Amino acid sequence: MKFVVAVKQVPDTVLIKVDENGSLIRVGVPSILDPYSEYAVERAVALKEEGDSVIAVSMGPEQAGSALFRCLEIGADEAYLLSDPAFAGADVHATSRTLKAFVEKYVSDAALILCGKQAADGDTAQVPAELAEMLDRDQFCYAVDIERDAGSFIIRQDYGDEIRTCRAPEGSVVSVQEGDVNRPLPSIQRFIDVSSVEIKKLGRLDLGLGTFSVGLKGSRTKIVSSRAVRTERSGRVTDGTDPRAAASFIKGVL
Amino acid sequence: MDESKTAGEADGLLVPEEEADVAEAVRTAVSEGTCLTVSGMRTGMCAGAVPHGGYVLSMEKMDRIIGVGRDGRGYFVRVQPCVTVRQLNDFMRRRGFVSAVSVTEGAAEQLAAEGREFFYPVDPTELDGSVGGNIATNASGPRTFKYGPTRDWVRRVRAVLSDGSVLDVKRGDIRAVGRRIPIPFSEGVREIDLPSYEYNRAVKNTAGMLSEDGMDAVDLFVGSEGIFGVITEADLYLAESHPLMSNIVFLPRNGDAYALSRDLPGSGVVPEFLEFFDSGSLDLIRASRAEDPRFTDMPDIPDYAGSALFFDLPMDGSITDKYRMLEPVLEAHGGSLSRSWCGHELKDRERFFAFRHSVPQTIFEYVARLKGSSAPGINKMGTDMSVPLAHLDEMMSAYDEVITRHGLEYVMFGHIGNGHPHAEIILKDMDDFEEAKKAYAELARKAVALGGSPSAEHGIGKMKTEYVRMMYGDRGVEEIRAVKEKMDPGWVLNPGDMVVR
Repeated sequence: MKFVVAVKQVPDTVLIKVDENGSLIRVGVPSILDPYSEYAVERAVALKEEGDSVIAVSMGPEQAGSALFRCLEIGADEAYLLSDPAFAGADVHATSRTLKAFVEKYVSDAALILCGKQAADGDTAQVPAELAEMLDRDQFCYAVDIERDAGSFIIRQDYGDEIRTCRAPEGSVVSVQEGDVNRPLPSIQRFIDVSSVEIKKLGRLDLGLGTFSVGLKGSRTKIVSSRAVRTERSGRVTDGTDPRAAASFIKGVL
Repeated sequence: MDESKTAGEADGLLVPEEEADVAEAVRTAVSEGTCLTVSGMRTGMCAGAVPHGGYVLSMEKMDRIIGVGRDGRGYFVRVQPCVTVRQLNDFMRRRGFVSAVSVTEGAAEQLAAEGREFFYPVDPTELDGSVGGNIATNASGPRTFKYGPTRDWVRRVRAVLSDGSVLDVKRGDIRAVGRRIPIPFSEGVREIDLPSYEYNRAVKNTAGMLSEDGMDAVDLFVGSEGIFGVITEADLYLAESHPLMSNIVFLPRNGDAYALSRDLPGSGVVPEFLEFFDSGSLDLIRASRAEDPRFTDMPDIPDYAGSALFFDLPMDGSITDKYRMLEPVLEAHGGSLSRSWCGHELKDRERFFAFRHSVPQTIFEYVARLKGSSAPGINKMGTDMSVPLAHLDEMMSAYDEVITRHGLEYVMFGHIGNGHPHAEIILKDMDDFEEAKKAYAELARKAVALGGSPSAEHGIGKMKTEYVRMMYGDRGVEEIRAVKEKMDPGWVLNPGDMVVR
């Protein structure tokens, strides 16, 4: 079986700070494999049995190769970087279309297509759904556990207020929201082994995509303007020693 | 209170915002006939910042990075004393120097335009300690293995002396002639006679003040625990940084990691440092993880691991060759390249250090609980002794023999590559504590007899003044006291630290 994992490289949001205009200060902040992408890779690797392979794919600039290297370190077997100047500025639609072209052309027999539930930078959470729609496959989101079960998969989904367990057919798109509590580390041997694995680069023509279906030109979203929103607390406090007074205070505020 | 968890009491708190306030505080203390205890981030482990009367002089508001400069040796950062090591690291990592002030012409612009990256290479385990405290204690860390202690990176200090005057001195400005060094005070130069002992630089050592023929005046303030002046500003050199790979290799039996640490240098691979964990310290982490699986934020320690060795290697094109060189040595001690963790991303490398820090941290918390409940007088008993590598085998046997003879359990971890592992004695009650003190003193004497130091990195403070005597004898202590008398006749600055009046 082949498991495709679509991953994204993001700035390490734990380290990132925001300037007074609300813009991200990216200087000196390392780029990492998106944490949810990492969970998806972990889940795919855990599903692997003898003869199976995990194929990581990412659309991004050259430096996104380091996120794919991380996928290899934690257990992926192959890695593809979809990189082309024409891909720059892609929104959800253009990104999904590019990923769709990759899946159809290179791994149309994928047993599962896994994604993170959303990326830590853009936070749209739309790519898995759009990709599933374009590929005409079933989609399962919020996966916290995936098991193999005779040609299909049992997926546990955490909706916050309920846990659903579903049977997903082969070929489904699954977005993952939970992995190991502790980020995995490769062994030295694994690092040596994957150091010689080639990260294959594919451009627009390799995927057979026209200029108007990718990148900024293929995007349907236009950012008109953005602004930082700050909320400030009013600072009104009740000490609660007299519950009756506290209750009427709260009522007054509401 | 500091990390030693000993409590003190003071008559008042002074929080200077600038150097003039520090000078004012010193003059006030002198005129009132009282004293000052300088306090930074209170991360010290020997009660150096714990006052016994007088004022506490908290440097907390002097926490600014002033700018960057450059001289013949290279780039340096100018800092106020309460900048933390973490703050300094962040400043470099986030390229704060791009918008920083140049203290020598064009330095900030030059540094910003560099293709190379730089960092401050002293890496005390406690990153939240102040650089003023780091200088005053000549702090070190794992990377001291390669880069030396804080002393090697101090370019210049500004210090308020006991008469309220300010001494601004950089390396090369004032040097001793033989063991006599002239220090300018407001009413004139005082000739200071440095102690006659041979200061042990061959091992990591923070016992007593440095004393050498031709010593630089900067070194009078580095490692002297603030008893000669209050540091108000310093220049710290930067080193060029290279990408690194952190590694932990797991070995099957308790003694294997130590044995490997002895053989590893023979493989031809030069690590940035060598830190080890014995089976007890791995079990300590395992126990904490059983309660909280997120503890240390690392994968589970493999069941087969009886000890482990932690080291960094330069992450360059030759790293796989280096691993191949290591492989036979590793296998000779029951390990393999598969039984290991490695990580090169910044967040992973930070996790390796957190993992290392979790051992003393766990013991700290355990002892703090005892202190808060059944044994208020108890303190953590972790050894801080270094010996030359040639005598490390003998010292390791001594740790086992002496601590066991006193009926105590211990775990060992730490800077094995510097001949400076920490033996943490596990205490259950005050009886254990009393026994541990005896064992500790015996081990300290052993370390000194083997040409080592009884206080390699934690300093002396108020808790280990006896080790200065152990190291340099009555005469050495008298000589340090004589320097103190000359520099600070009223014993106004940090009285009780390093030497007792």
